[in-house]
Amino acid sequence: MTRTEEIRQRLEEAFSPRELEVIDDSEKHRGHAGYQEGGESHFSVKLRTETFDGMSRIARHRAVHDALGKDLISKIHALSLDLQS
Amino acid sequence: MTDAKTQIAETVKSNDVVLYMKGTKSMPQCGFSSRVAGVLNYMGVDFTDVNVLADDEIRQGIKDYSEWPTIPQLYVKGEFVGGCDIITEMTLSGELDQLFESNGVNYDKDAADKIREANG
Repeated sequence: MTRTEEIRQRLEEAFSPRELEVIDDSEKHRGHAGYQEGGESHFSVKLRTETFDGMSRIARHRAVHDALGKDLISKIHALSLDLQS
Repeated sequence: MTDAKTQIAETVKSNDVVLYMKGTKSMPQCGFSSRVAGVLNYMGVDFTDVNVLADDEIRQGIKDYSEWPTIPQLYVKGEFVGGCDIITEMTLSGELDQLFESNGVNYDKDAADKIREANG
């Protein structure tokens, strides 16, 4: 499974999202710190789920960090999150 | 607490606005750090920058301190506010202005409005 698929699967399981985009942005960072050949280093996630109702921005981000888990996060150089209910 | 955590606690409590970042405010070493430092500079906020690339213990320690896995991290009056995505959202929504106002942090309201006009 690619890292993109792993992120997608974990977020789907945790949040049953109404909308979910997981984009590998790594090519935009070619030559920058953290870039690795083959990509899968820089990601953008757009997630819309009712689970976020009434949660602060920080709480939403923390929920996503928890769902992905420390191991997976430590392998990713950059993760940009757009999280709304 | 570890030495790094003690040092971080002292830094964020003795300075009103602190940004833990990769590089410095005048020479950021990462796009995300650069964006947050750029917003604060543009808004004329007097802030303390801590370059995590200069100290591996602080680089890991700040993640443990806030239980937040990424850098940059912004602190106002000792409280963790967020990273790049959150600061960007709060800048555009005006919440960052409110946070500075309620904490007595000086900033240039006109500059903040200009950021919003340019990104509205």
